[in-house]
Amino acid sequence: MSDIFPKWTNKLPGQVILGALLVGAAVVVGATYYATPKYTRVGYKPVQPVAFSHAIHADQLGLDCRYCHNAVEKSWYSNVPASSVCMNCHNQVLKDDPKLAPVRESYETGEPIPWVQVHKVPDYVYFNHSVHVNRGFSCVECHGPVNKMDEVYHAKPFGMAFCLECHRDPAGKIRPLDKITDLDWTWSEDAAEAAVLQRENGEQLVHDWRVESLVNCSACHR
Amino acid sequence: MNTVSPTTKTSQTGPKYWRSLDELADTPEFKQWVDREFPEGASENEGGVNRRDFVKLMSASFMLAGFGLTGCRRPEETIIPFSKMPEGYVHGVAKYFATAMPVRSSAVPLLAKSADGRPVKLEGNPEHPVSNGGTDTFAQASILNLYDPDRSREVLSGGDATTLEAGLKHLDEIASKFARNRGQGLSLLSRESSSPTRRRLQKLLQEKLPQAKWYEYEPVSFGASSEAASLAFDRGLVPSYDVSKAERIISLDCDFLGDEQDAYINIKGFADGRAVDAPGDHMNRLYVVEGLMTLTGSNADHRLRVPTSGVFAVAAALLAEALDQSSSDSSDSQVEALKNSLKQIAATANVSGEWVSEAIKDLAAHKGHSVVLAGYRQPVAVHLLALALNTVLGNVGHTVHFRSSQSGAAGTISELKAALDGGSVDTLVVLGGNPAYDAPSDLNWAASQKKAGEVVRLGYYADETSEGATWHIPELHFLESWGDAETADGTRVPVQPLIAPLFGGLSEIELIGRLLQLEDASGHSLVRSSFDAEVSGANDENWKTFLHDGFVSSSSNSTVSIGSDLFKWSKVAPSILNADTAPPPSKDALELVFHRDASMDDGQFNNNGWMQEYPDPMTKLTWDNVILVSRKTASELGVSNNDVVKVTSGNASIEGPIWVQPGLADYTLGLALGYGRTKSGRIGGFKGQAVGFDVYPVRTSSAPYIAASATLSATGATHDLAATQDHWSMEGRAIVREANLEQFNEKPDFSHNMDLEAHGAHIPHDDQGKPLPIYKHPYDARESLKSEIHQWGMTIDLNRCVGCSACVIACQSENNIPIVGKEQVAKSREMHWMRIDRYYSGGVEAKAGLTGLESDADQQNQRWIDDPQVVTQPMLCQHCESAPCESVCPVNATVHDHEGLNVMAYNRCVGTRYCSNNCAWKVRRFNFFDYNKRPLESLYDGPLAERPKDDLDIVAMAKNPQVTVRMRGVMEKCTFCTQRIEEAKINQKVAARDSGNVEVPDGTFKTACEQACPADAIVFGNTLDPESRVSKLKASPRNYAVLGFLDTRPRTTYLAKVRNPNPAMPDYYDMPLSTKEYSESMGDPFSDHHGAAHGEGHGDAHGAEAGSANGESGGHH
Repeated sequence: MSDIFPKWTNKLPGQVILGALLVGAAVVVGATYYATPKYTRVGYKPVQPVAFSHAIHADQLGLDCRYCHNAVEKSWYSNVPASSVCMNCHNQVLKDDPKLAPVRESYETGEPIPWVQVHKVPDYVYFNHSVHVNRGFSCVECHGPVNKMDEVYHAKPFGMAFCLECHRDPAGKIRPLDKITDLDWTWSEDAAEAAVLQRENGEQLVHDWRVESLVNCSACHR
Repeated sequence: MNTVSPTTKTSQTGPKYWRSLDELADTPEFKQWVDREFPEGASENEGGVNRRDFVKLMSASFMLAGFGLTGCRRPEETIIPFSKMPEGYVHGVAKYFATAMPVRSSAVPLLAKSADGRPVKLEGNPEHPVSNGGTDTFAQASILNLYDPDRSREVLSGGDATTLEAGLKHLDEIASKFARNRGQGLSLLSRESSSPTRRRLQKLLQEKLPQAKWYEYEPVSFGASSEAASLAFDRGLVPSYDVSKAERIISLDCDFLGDEQDAYINIKGFADGRAVDAPGDHMNRLYVVEGLMTLTGSNADHRLRVPTSGVFAVAAALLAEALDQSSSDSSDSQVEALKNSLKQIAATANVSGEWVSEAIKDLAAHKGHSVVLAGYRQPVAVHLLALALNTVLGNVGHTVHFRSSQSGAAGTISELKAALDGGSVDTLVVLGGNPAYDAPSDLNWAASQKKAGEVVRLGYYADETSEGATWHIPELHFLESWGDAETADGTRVPVQPLIAPLFGGLSEIELIGRLLQLEDASGHSLVRSSFDAEVSGANDENWKTFLHDGFVSSSSNSTVSIGSDLFKWSKVAPSILNADTAPPPSKDALELVFHRDASMDDGQFNNNGWMQEYPDPMTKLTWDNVILVSRKTASELGVSNNDVVKVTSGNASIEGPIWVQPGLADYTLGLALGYGRTKSGRIGGFKGQAVGFDVYPVRTSSAPYIAASATLSATGATHDLAATQDHWSMEGRAIVREANLEQFNEKPDFSHNMDLEAHGAHIPHDDQGKPLPIYKHPYDARESLKSEIHQWGMTIDLNRCVGCSACVIACQSENNIPIVGKEQVAKSREMHWMRIDRYYSGGVEAKAGLTGLESDADQQNQRWIDDPQVVTQPMLCQHCESAPCESVCPVNATVHDHEGLNVMAYNRCVGTRYCSNNCAWKVRRFNFFDYNKRPLESLYDGPLAERPKDDLDIVAMAKNPQVTVRMRGVMEKCTFCTQRIEEAKINQKVAARDSGNVEVPDGTFKTACEQACPADAIVFGNTLDPESRVSKLKASPRNYAVLGFLDTRPRTTYLAKVRNPNPAMPDYYDMPLSTKEYSESMGDPFSDHHGAAHGEGHGDAHGAEAGSANGESGGHH
């Protein structure tokens, strides 16, 4: 009796399963790489029209974040400074530096400098800067060590899971209000001790300030 | 007739839209209607897309997705900061500016919200002396006019577009030409205005160009009351009425809660007078004599239905009776003679003597605390009668005040027509208005206008009038130009721009300034000059205060005190007695009554989509006007709903669909102005066809409001109408609960006896007698979810609500709610998050012996609708604690938050519509189409069809940036203005910083509907705060929850309505008709026994947790 199915078909189920697994893995890897903010966003470092270094201004010179981003405590939006703000200092300091030519030109002509946007949340997310920085959450939690960056890059993934990390456990990140813009600050030099202190003090602050753990849709989506 | 699409042009089956009268009916069609969650067509696939098309589209979109993967990295975007930082500007923080909307001879004081430089929302200015922050629908909707892509954008010369500079140059030429001949041959036609600057320029014009002529025309004018006052007191006076101080009110066809000027102020006064919190509280009483069924009539305690022309005789009877009852005047022989003549007129009135005498007795018992109001539709004689009544009843100086009239001398449009026909007009300047559309038909305006040498037209739209104009100049919106105005009390208010003109143009005062060749004719300096000249102590500081506060305090000092002894009976008597009296209308000589439309006004809101889709407060019709008739008239004439009929008056005739209106006077045809525009935009001329029909052709200058001797004939055609009421029938249950004042005094918590659970057996209870909830309480399921800081709740006081619907448009503006078009409304797909339900009730007696309910066509023929009682009820998401919608959502798109809000996560929604099906209140709205992404006429064009972007972008400027714009396929509903809640909470937290003071104080913010409500009927707040307004109101005995027996614990509760009929009146009813109908089947809610028998075991298991959020709990503990 001849075979109804040729011999090679014996291997077919295995091949199909293997193929499906490969395709499945490709989809998972592809989706992860192409569609999750962890990969799509982190590390994004566009070239800016002016080679502004946060490391020099914030770290070496010790400028407070709020000197330039002055609306961060008042608005949902943390503003990028106007050219006039740069010129407050740079009409004295490095007043003829060629790297600052676009700033001077903008100040004189009124044409704004087109900074390339690095950090962004989707339009349906109503993130508010003022309520975070006024209630004990530092710039560094979302933006990373900007004071060490020569060129700003996207340090954190900014997916909803990232937001929920803190929203589920505000005590894990909260800090005293006078340390908000001190991006290097920790409760202790020693990392292990800092973690313990963060937990202890964090829970105390959350309790005293009545900080809520907001994990409902209405907290961010309207 | 104009319709939306050919498929809906004619109805095959006759009047299937008369659904409000189906309520009483037990017809199978109606049963089926009620059983369906969505009406026919709402959930079916409309065809057009078959399976093959679908697969084609899907594969195309998968392909695109594949290509897209390589390019799915985010596009590079730039941040554009300022070059030089403006002082005091914080990006992202909205600013508010005080301004005002000029309206005829008044203005609405406003606070305009500017989001990053563009106005997005208008609210009443609560600081203003006459305003409580409430507004009307027109003010709310006026912001959409600013962003109307169809508004006039270019100067037109002979119909061809030219530059603004060319237009200005031409104006200068005109100015210098007339400067040489002192204005000989120059005529100006304007609308009414309260602007002090315009008044000043008008005077200046008379001085500089004394030969120039000024005319005014207003299609709907509210001037009759001041005409009467000026005649009666022999000096120029403008009366104003303080409804809040009136305990007894008679309205003589005066819709002071609806279409009269400044109704929002009256609504506030009326609602304050009706507030009863505890037994024994005072409450005003409203008598209404009218022919149409108006909002005021629907709020009346006693409503007398007479033809609109018959109001005169009733008013005469009232005055005769008042003179009879007041002995002091009888010595005056003049008054005595008038009284006798009045009695002769009164004999023709179709009213019982008892009605008149008891009403007057009631008013006389409240001397100085009553008021008689006459409506704009009534002739001066009726206004004189009302004024005489107020004088006799001692109201002058108490509820009736006078200001000296400020208006300058102006001719009428008839005089202008004579001048035009006489050829004496070289240049006619038409400032605003639209006479070619709305001038009386006997003037044949369009032809006369052509006889002017040239016509210069300043117009917001290039409309019918601009068509015949030599030059057309775009007029600026009040939000983009400088101006000033005076509110009802004479207070000076600024009109300040929030944005530079979008398309360029001139304001009215700027154009006059140019004609006067003023050195600086910019709006700002014109207004500032008037301010400096007319306000005492004007300086820069005061000017800034003026702009900041939005009014000059104590600038309403033009009030004159007039003693009632100054009333000139000798002048009044002949004017009353010589008034024309028409014979009562009959079947063959019908009476036409023209009224200002609740949506279109006189036609100026014709291209405003919000107003077109706003359901008329009484008929609930959208996108159409109708010929309103009474049941009796319809049956005698053999017409029924949707029948297109021809109405002939004199030589002119119009055609429109019939609508039977309960409570309308017999042989009266109610005709709404403002529809049927031949040259409107894409809304008013939807798909190239005018929306509605034009009634101006039968409106003449001799009979602008009431026309006699019209005839009606059927044409055989029918016209489909889109009504919103009854898509969610309540089947006569205790949805709106009402009692008479005496009953409330005896049993203030009567509404609790009307809870279904008060009747026991229907509700499953546990062994401790507590009701078993159907849905799990979210805070039981997860204790930690509940916030201990805020729990939001709302109350709606049905005793205050008059049904004006300002909240509906305010909600639309605040929450980016799209319009959907007539076709979609007819399928119940309107998107309003908030609606005003309107129910008629006829009482048991009126329905006794009713046998004719079987036939659908017979619904509009039921006798009980002749004199119905009306209630209105705002209906919006109730924010149930145990929400039925939440438990059926397969994707957790609608969930509960920690503060008691039932929230929608649009991104999660996949559009199953299960939630809507499971909602007992029918308040959820589904986006069947991308209403925000494409024009209404191309909704069905499919996803690949072209989207005209530019025009949509202009409309998008009206959107609130704090609220997500929803896309096709997602469900939406009232969010309790979560964006305002979050903003208030964030502001509180920002201020709290490192303290625990994060609780938002009561009254810090209002929801959009609450904010707009002129009656203060809606109150929102934190129910955890025992001192909050909402907590106190929820503790009121009148507090109840609609469909509370479902035990879903709605956060929105209602306060029962109380009526105040006069026991001495012949038409007294011992119980509101709806309550009577209810008690017929469910038992008397006012008997103690009733409550005691069922009162136990309804304790609220969650009462402590939910605070006072649950309206059912109060009465049963």
